[in-house]
Formats: sequence, C-alpha cells, structure tokens
Amino acid sequence: MAAYEPVLLRNKGVENSTALKVYESRGGYQALRKALKMNPEEVVEEVKRANLRGRGGAGFPAGVKWGFLPKDRTVTYLCVNSDESEPPTFSNRVLIEIDPHMLVEGTIITAYATRAQVAYIYMRVEFHEQFHILQKAIDEAYAAGYLGSKVLGSDFALECYIHRGAGAYVCGEETGLIESIEGKRGCPRIKPPFPAVEGLFYKPTVVNNVETLCNVPHIIERGADWFTGIGPQHSTGPKLFCISGPVNKPGCYEGAMDITVRDLIEREDMGGGMLPGKKVKGVLPGGVSVGILTADELDMKMDFQDPAKYGLLGLGTAAAVVIDQDTDMRSVLRNMARFYGTESCGQCTQCREGTAWMHTIARRIEADGGRIEDLDIIAETARSMGMMPGLSICGLSDGATYPLETIVKKFHSELEESIRAQSPTETDALAGAVGH
Amino acid sequence: MSPKKTRTCVMEIDHREVSFPEGVTVLRAAELNDVYIPSLCSHKDLSPFGGCRMCIVEIESMRGYPLACSTVAAEGMKVLTDTATLREMRKEILQLILSEHPSSCLICSEETECRENQHTIRKVGVTTGCRYCPNDIQCELQEVVERTGITDIDYPIYYRGYEVEHDDPFYDRDYNICILCGRCVRMCQEVRGTSVLAFKFRGPEAQIGPAFGKSHVEAGCEFCGACVSVCPTGTLADKASKWDGEPDGIRVSTCPFCGIGCQVELHHKDGRLSKVEANLDPEINDGQLCVRGRFCMPEATHHHQRAKKPMLRRGEYFREVTWDESIDEVAGKLKGIKADEFLMVVSGDLTNEGLFAAQKFVRSALGINSIDSTARESLPGGLGLWAKLFSLSISMKGIREADCIIALGLDSRFYFSVAGVDIRRALKNGANLVTIDARDSNLASYTKHWLRPTPGKEGAVLDAIVQGIGKSNSGFKSVAKKTDVDEGLLAQAVSTLSSGENLAVVIGPTIFEYEANEELIDALTRLARRTNTTFMPLYNGANTRGAFELGVISELLPGVAKAKGKGVTLSDVIEGTATPKVLYLVGEVPFFDRPDCEYVIAQGTYYPPFEVDAFLPAASFAEAEGTLTNVEGRVQELVGIEDLPDSAVAGFARPDWLIFSRLAEKLKCSEFKYKSAKAVLKDISKTVADFPAKADRKPRRLTPKAKLPIDRHAGGSEGADPFLLVAEPAGFAHRGTDLASKVEGLEELALEEGFRLNPDDLGKLRVDSGERITVSVGKLTVTGQAKADKECPRGTVYFHRPVAYGGLEHRAELEPLYRLRKSPVKAEVARSVEKKRSTKAAPKKTAAASR
Repeated sequence: MAAYEPVLLRNKGVENSTALKVYESRGGYQALRKALKMNPEEVVEEVKRANLRGRGGAGFPAGVKWGFLPKDRTVTYLCVNSDESEPPTFSNRVLIEIDPHMLVEGTIITAYATRAQVAYIYMRVEFHEQFHILQKAIDEAYAAGYLGSKVLGSDFALECYIHRGAGAYVCGEETGLIESIEGKRGCPRIKPPFPAVEGLFYKPTVVNNVETLCNVPHIIERGADWFTGIGPQHSTGPKLFCISGPVNKPGCYEGAMDITVRDLIEREDMGGGMLPGKKVKGVLPGGVSVGILTADELDMKMDFQDPAKYGLLGLGTAAAVVIDQDTDMRSVLRNMARFYGTESCGQCTQCREGTAWMHTIARRIEADGGRIEDLDIIAETARSMGMMPGLSICGLSDGATYPLETIVKKFHSELEESIRAQSPTETDALAGAVGH
Repeated sequence: MSPKKTRTCVMEIDHREVSFPEGVTVLRAAELNDVYIPSLCSHKDLSPFGGCRMCIVEIESMRGYPLACSTVAAEGMKVLTDTATLREMRKEILQLILSEHPSSCLICSEETECRENQHTIRKVGVTTGCRYCPNDIQCELQEVVERTGITDIDYPIYYRGYEVEHDDPFYDRDYNICILCGRCVRMCQEVRGTSVLAFKFRGPEAQIGPAFGKSHVEAGCEFCGACVSVCPTGTLADKASKWDGEPDGIRVSTCPFCGIGCQVELHHKDGRLSKVEANLDPEINDGQLCVRGRFCMPEATHHHQRAKKPMLRRGEYFREVTWDESIDEVAGKLKGIKADEFLMVVSGDLTNEGLFAAQKFVRSALGINSIDSTARESLPGGLGLWAKLFSLSISMKGIREADCIIALGLDSRFYFSVAGVDIRRALKNGANLVTIDARDSNLASYTKHWLRPTPGKEGAVLDAIVQGIGKSNSGFKSVAKKTDVDEGLLAQAVSTLSSGENLAVVIGPTIFEYEANEELIDALTRLARRTNTTFMPLYNGANTRGAFELGVISELLPGVAKAKGKGVTLSDVIEGTATPKVLYLVGEVPFFDRPDCEYVIAQGTYYPPFEVDAFLPAASFAEAEGTLTNVEGRVQELVGIEDLPDSAVAGFARPDWLIFSRLAEKLKCSEFKYKSAKAVLKDISKTVADFPAKADRKPRRLTPKAKLPIDRHAGGSEGADPFLLVAEPAGFAHRGTDLASKVEGLEELALEEGFRLNPDDLGKLRVDSGERITVSVGKLTVTGQAKADKECPRGTVYFHRPVAYGGLEHRAELEPLYRLRKSPVKAEVARSVEKKRSTKAAPKKTAAASR
C-alpha cells in the first residue's frame, strides 16, 4: 500500500499552525485566489466532479446539494456545521485546533460558489478554546482582506460569524441548526422545503460540515481528478477517522476510505492495537448512531457503502469506539438509551416516548430487573420508531434505534444470559422500573 | 389585492377519485371529501407540525410513510389512508402517546354503562364516574382512540406528576395530560403573534409554558384564550367553566364589551351562560377574542353582587319591593317634571333598543330634553367630527388587508386585542407599521418606525405624516421641533408609508382621551379625504356609535339631527352649574359619591357605590336580547341566552326598554306599546333612515343631515411647570362598573394605581419607587404614590383615569385629577412632605368626575 500523504492534517505538528502567516507560508489561501478567478458555477462543477460527499454523517454529495439552490435567488446563507455532538466524534475539533484557516478558506470558497453573502459557523458551546482559535483566525482573515466587503479586492463580499450553540444534539441536524441560529428552540423543521430552498430566515441556505468544507480548498487547488484518485470510486477524497476506547493510541487519523475497522484499531499509524489484556468485543464504528459491529465484523470498510452490508445505518461520522471484553453490554445499552432519551427534542411522538421507554427498560435491565421479553420490546419499539424511513421529522430517532436494535440483535445471547443470571434485589428492580 | 383563483385538482384517495382545491394538504383534501385520517396536532388555522405522527399515509411513489398534514396534495396522487400496516402503526403510536396520558377515560370495558349508571366499584368512580378531566366527552383524544380501536396499552402508565398550575388568572393548566401537540404554541406564535407559549426542556421532559419559567402575566400573555380553545385534551381549561361538561347548546352572539363587536359563541347549560368561544366570523374577529370577550362574560353576569331585584328607600332601609311598587313610585317622582329639574345619564354600553327607548322616554313621556350619555366623552372633538368620521370607510378587515399601518396610542394587550392581532397579521403579510406613541406599547416591538412625540403631540405628528405621504421628503423641521420627534426618523416613516397603497390608521383610546387639539382634527379631516384609507377609531363603550346615531345626547335627535330646546347635561352637574332634583342613572356611574340631588334613580346590573333612592334591576347582556351597533356601523344581534323565570336566584331583572315602557305606560304616554326588543328595533328603523329593521351585519356609512359643530382647541400645554401630567383611560368598564371588581381574574390584570414616572425623574426628585409625591396643577394639589416605570418618557407623569367608577371605591385618592378637563397638562411634582398617609384625599363635596 502506497504511503498516504496527509491532506487535512498536513499541518499537524507544525509550530504555530493556527497563525495566518504559517498557513499562508504553507500554501494557504492560494485556492481562494484560484477560485475567485473561476466563476461560481465552475467551482460548483469542480466540487460535483470530485464527488465530495458530506462528512457530517449522511454522505450527501456537497456539489449536488449546492445545485439545489434556486437559480433566481437574491439572498443566500451558508451555515457551517461545527456542532459535532455525535458521541465519540472529535474530528472537527482537531481540524479547528490545528488549521482554523483551512476552514475559513473552505468557507469563503463555498460562499463564493453558492453566492452566499453571510456565513454562520455554528459551533457547539463546549468548544471554548476552539472558539477563540477560530475567532482569531476569522479576525486575521478580515484584517488580511480575505473576508469583508471586498474579498481580495474583488466584488465578492462575505461576512462571517460564529454562532455558539447551547448544547443540544438535535442542533447538529441541519434544520435544527437553522432554528437555533434564528434564536429558536432547537427543533427540526418539516422537509420539504429543504434548506436549499427555504432555510435560514426562510432564505435559500447551504449547510455543510466543517470537514466537508476543509476539503474544498484542496479540490480547487489540485483539481477534482486528484481528489477522485484517493480512495474507492464511491467514497473519494481524504477522510478523518477518530478512534477511542481501550486502544494504545486513541486519536484522530487521516486516510483514504479504503481502510477497514481492523486497520483503524490495529495499524501502527492509527490506533496502534488494543491495550495489553484487552480484546475487542464490539465496535461502534461511525459515531454511536449507525449501530454496532461484533468482533467478527471488523473487516467492514470505512466507506459510504460497506456499513449497510453489516446492518448499519451508514458511515456516520467515522468515529469508532471500541468496546472490550470486560464491558457489560447491558451498560452499553443503557448508556446509548440514556443519550437519546435526553437528547430527543420532544416533537415527534415515537421519538419522545420511544427513546424514553427504551431508556427506562435499559435501566431496568442494567439494574438486574430485566425480563427476557424486554429485549423484544426494545427491538419492537425501535422498529416502530425509526427503522422505517419517514417516521419522524428528523434522523434523530433513526439514529437512536440503530445502536439499540443492533446491540439487542447482535448481542442477544449475552444479554439473555445476563438477564437469566441476575439475582435482583427488590430495590434494584424498583430503581430500574420507575419513571423515565 | 384580489383573491387568487384556485384550480381544482383530482387525486385518488383509497381508490376513490376525489377533487380538491390546489395547494391544500393531503389531510385537508381528505377532510373535504369526508375521508377520516386521525390526527391530533394538526389544526386548520395553524401550520403543519408533524409531531403526533397519527396521520401517516401511504402515497404511491413516495418513500416510507409521509404525513397527510404536511404533504401537499398533488394532481394524480394516489393515497391510501387505511391499510393494515397503517392501522398497526397508528395503534403503536397512539399507545406511546397514551403511555403518558391517564387513560381510564379512554379505554375501559365498562365505559358505556358507566356513563349511564356510574356503577363502577373502583374508588374514584363511585360518585364521579371517571370524570376527573374537564374535557371528558368533548375530548379529541377520546375520539381518536375510539376510531383507532385501541383497547389495551402495552406500556406501563407513566404519570408525569407535574403540579397542576393554577397561578395565572382565567385558565388552569394540567400538563400531566398534555400530549405535546403544540397547537397552543403555534396559535400563540402564528395567529396571535404574541409568542408567550413555547416548548420548554426536551425529550420526555418537554413541556409547554412561557420561556424561562416566567408566569403568563409576566410573559405578556393577553389571556385571549385562543390556546385553550385549540387544546385537544383537558390540559388547558377555563377556570370559570371547567367542570360544566358538555354544553346543552351553542348560539352565536355579539360581544357586549367594546365597539369592535366580535362574534362569539355562547355555550349554555341548564339555561345559563357557561362559556364563551370565538366565532370564526371572517368579517370581524376571525376566531379571535380578547380577555374580556373570551373569559369575562359568565362572571360579569353571574357575580354574587349582581343586583337582581327592584329596591326602594324606605326611611332608613333600602328594601326589596315588587316591580309594580317601584314603577309607581318612580313614575310618581317623574310626573310633570321640568327640564331643569331632571337629568337622565345613559351608558353607551346599552343595546340600541335600550338607548332608543331611553331618549324616547325622556322626550315623549316626560316631554323634556334632559338626557345625556357618557358616550360623549368617548368621542371628543365634537359631534361634527364624529359625524364625519362615521361616514368614512371603517373596517376591521381593512387592517388585515392594509400594506401600511399607522397605530396611535394603542396598546392592544388587554384592550382591543383583536385589532392588535389584525395588525400583526398584516405585518406577517409584509405590511409596514409606524407607531406614534409616547409610551412603549405591545405593538412597539413589531413596528418599523416608532415615533415618540411629547404626549399630546401625536395628532401633530399624524398630521405631518398624512400631509407628507407621497410627496418629496422635506419640511419636517418645524413639526419635528414642536413634537420632539427626530426629523430623520419622521422622514423615514413617511417614505415607508409612501411605498404602500392601502393605508390603515388605528387610533387607540389614549389619543381620544386627550383634549382634542386642532392638529388631530386636521389630520383626521385630511384622512377623510384620502382614498384607499381605512380608519379604525378604538373608543370606549360598546355602543357609543349607537348612542350617537340614536340621539341619546340632549342636542341630538335620533338620526343625527339637531334637537331643539336645551336640557341639563352631565358636565353641568359635574361642574355644579345645575342641580337637578331627580337624577336617573341608566347603567352608568359617573360619580364616586352621591351628587346633591333630591332623588336618585339607578337602573343597572350592579348597585352604584353610593346610596340611591330607587334601584331598577336591568337585564344583562346574557338575559336581554337586542342589537349593538359596532364601530363599522353593523347592527349586530345580541342573543338573550338566559331566559329563566323570575325567582330569588334568577332575579327579577327586565330589559331597559321594557322598564322605560312600563314607566311610560304609568305616565299615560301612548307611544310605548313594545312587546319585544324586535318591535323597538322596527320603531328605530322607522325613525332613523338607514337603520335596519332587524339585525343586519352590513357595515353602514353615516350620512348626517345636520351640520354639527366641531370643537377645536389650540393644542399644546402652556405653563412653565416642568412635568407633563398625562391621563390614560383605564379600567374594564361595562355599564358603569369596572369588571375588574367583579371578574376574579381581571382583578389581577387591573391597572396600576397612583402616578408613574421615569426612574431617572424619580431619582432627580430623590423619591424611591413606592414613596408618595405631590402633583400640582395650578391651584389643585393631589398626593399619591409614585412608581418607577421605564416606559414613561422623561418629564412625564402618567396616571390612569378610570372609565367607570362602579366597584372602584378605593381609587378615589386621585379623584380631583379625574375632573381636570385638560390632558396632558403642565404640572409641578415634588416629594410629599406628609409624614403619614393621610386619610382619604378626596374632597367632601360632590365627588364628581369626568370631563
């Protein structure tokens, strides 16, 4: 295998990499200069040709998304999704910490391509330091003329703001994010109309993930052909992978989308293998919302197509969390259920009530108060909540059902065994049985 | 704006071809074709929410299960609404909803029999059945459960255990039975434009209420009750009628509380008015009401202090007597009375029938002209101005349809809320609003330009704008200087307004409370000449226009003709220039204390706050039928919903016109042969040209025959005193009584007493909020409590002038100021030197009021 040359993390380890001067000295903002010489449609076309698929989770091609904007629009907004609230995911954070100007440049080029006049970077509230790093980069970009009323002396004008969230998972969903920027409670909107037609302040809007936009300058600079040359045909370009859990080197690594989950865990330039004495029991490979893999399924490719073969929702955020042999799957189940139970916005019945009941049941199972039929109830609730498309307004309930359903399915015998072996004390059972 | 023509399309629902108007949702298309799709969160007036998920359907070539409520129906669509899968899924969804909703009222094997016999052996059921929910039998959830066919719930029941919220007036909130359909939130945000209600928290803890844990009063709730009306469960319920159950019937009537004349639906049970809901009448209120119309009617007519029996003074006693006895005595007092010995004061809240009979009684039966109405105060500027204004295009719909709106002196939170809703609807459709108001108002936050002149100069600003619209922007310098409005802002406002075609001018009662100045009259006269202009004067009194048209004023005859012969007027009595022997108050209390008259007759629904010699109980709006003339000139029907036989409980009240008829009969006047209110209305239409012979909701423009005088006063307040004292009309008046003293919830919304000043001014005076100050106007000095109020501009002192004195004994402290004719007026303000709060500051003599 040819050595992979990092693209997104190329400035990792470079001293003072967040500074504008350092970024420029390493070729930064050249792509912007090149883009401004093209017309916006050409930029869109190039990104379309590169088949840059969204890195936020759903994998929708960015160029196609931009193409949905109505032709006769006068006002367009660009929203950059840096809510990064999927549990084991931290690639946006790493990107902003290392190379904030790459994001700023990607934002400017995308705004130019989509003819957006204002860009909002929606940042999760927990990013304190990252907020200051990015704000400093934006200030520098304004001072250097990359942002403002005349970008690099051209007629293109762009204002860029960071909007900080208030800590809701659902605000990472594009319409929830839009509502939040508008100052409303984080709640998804009914689609259609899609944001490209009616988004922020009811104007055409493009919402893209930080990592997606960070790819844009490289596509412009090196061309779509270079980009499609990386990774398999359906999953082109560089990609960041996160790995956490009992591995030797948890962290964020870059590669093409031709690696397997096993590579991510074992390779020396990635996870570096399991900690001594630890064995893989299961992996949640794409953030938690895509579902779980067993130790026998580690050959799954980390691309946009392979996960479906393993009964998973998709690639997700490509952030894997490894579960070792000492972890009780009942705890994993409860942990997952708790997360979705508290993060559902409460709008759709199934999601609001379903996540709550799954949490209640998972708590009961963990507290030694489970019954065998509880496993079926979880599977059944999951089925009526989100395994079928179009059952709720946004994808949160789909995301909630995949991990719970796959855990119950793939680890059924273990869970059943635990339930049979339990010797509940009365208080344990009660603790699990009452309330959400 | 012409309504768009909608195309009719064809689609297939459950293999049946149906037609529907283009643009509607699948749910609406099904509804129009009598296909039932269960739904809990959708509502025809609200945007789709997609929360309950009950209305899932299958549509050919669409992935999954789209929602009927949010999918727009399209030509040729093929929809299945009732497949086995859908039924199964709906059951599952409904079970999830019911897992957090007490369900013994929904699924119970003994349900049917129990309704009849209440034989259940469970504890709660013994005496009550399972009727612990105020919405039982009227609940939408019950219907959906029945039609979905749920008989059992797999989930354990989780009771949320929230405390039921009783702490705001008018409606209770039990969020334990809330299904989070969000209708109330959308109603509050989309239709009312107030956004008081919101979703709080998330996931299973999601709950409805004002944000940040505020109370509804604090959060700016208008208490319009629109949220209560759309709640599909018993979560939101009127306090007053919570346990009344299903009504016996519903009748459409007119709200008797203000001149807008909203259409209401009166619910009645066992012959009594139980609850009021808005009617979906598109002409006026379009399903909306204000706090008075929605919540106050039952209590206003059923209050325990309601005076229901004829009473006469007998020595030291005030005694219940028969109608015959009281009619004999009153008629005896009135026989042969001379013009200067008598005055009848009539409320502008009476029905047309009552008003007409009152003036006819004085003019025909007594043969004099001593009649006056408090309606006169609601219509300043002289009768001529109002004759002119009522001949203009006045239309509530016109506000909704306007693209430019000017609002003067209007805060629509509790008064004229429906006009506020119409303004916000217009804004939603892209209209621009300019407010001219010295004080902050609930409309100021929606306005494009808020012009903030010195109080009393609103008319001048309006005049400048009216003159400036459509012309090049210049020459605002002098007006800007005179009114203290920024010149640039004024120019901007004019240019904004110039861009529109249809102008609506909404004038609130505060402006009419000012002494009519030349500039306001000029502005109104100029507006009268403009085309594409809707004018909306919001004055006090439900039938002020009727009082004006039917000549309940000494110088006017019915039909706006000049009367001959002068009579005593109310201001004569207040100023002490006339002291009639007999005073006859018809539904009006214009004094705090009994005036110096030999014999005082009161005819009304509540006793006045002072001693009278005869009391004649009048029927309330619920008991007497009749008509009211609204601001647009529509003659609208007031339904007599209660028709109980005389008894100690139901009382012995009679309609006003009937009391006058009986008195006239006793006085041998042959012109009162009315058998019903309808006969009176027929008589009116014979006397007054253009007046319909039966209730007719057509708006009418007045065509006055007589040339009537316009009062003009030079505007402005002279004097060197540093402060401007401004009177604001206040109180929820109805028939001379402040409803806040009768309706429990209104008391909480009652307006502040004392003086209100800007905090900076209080600081300069070294007075803390809550301390007492002395306000001097000329020789008049009054002491009262001062309160800091950010909304008051610097250099002003505001106080509320009650519109009615009935039930307001404790407000007498500022009474001398109520009699000041001028407002705004220059005043001196100082920190009060009195050590202790003195006893009543009101003067000993006739405490008269009004201007």
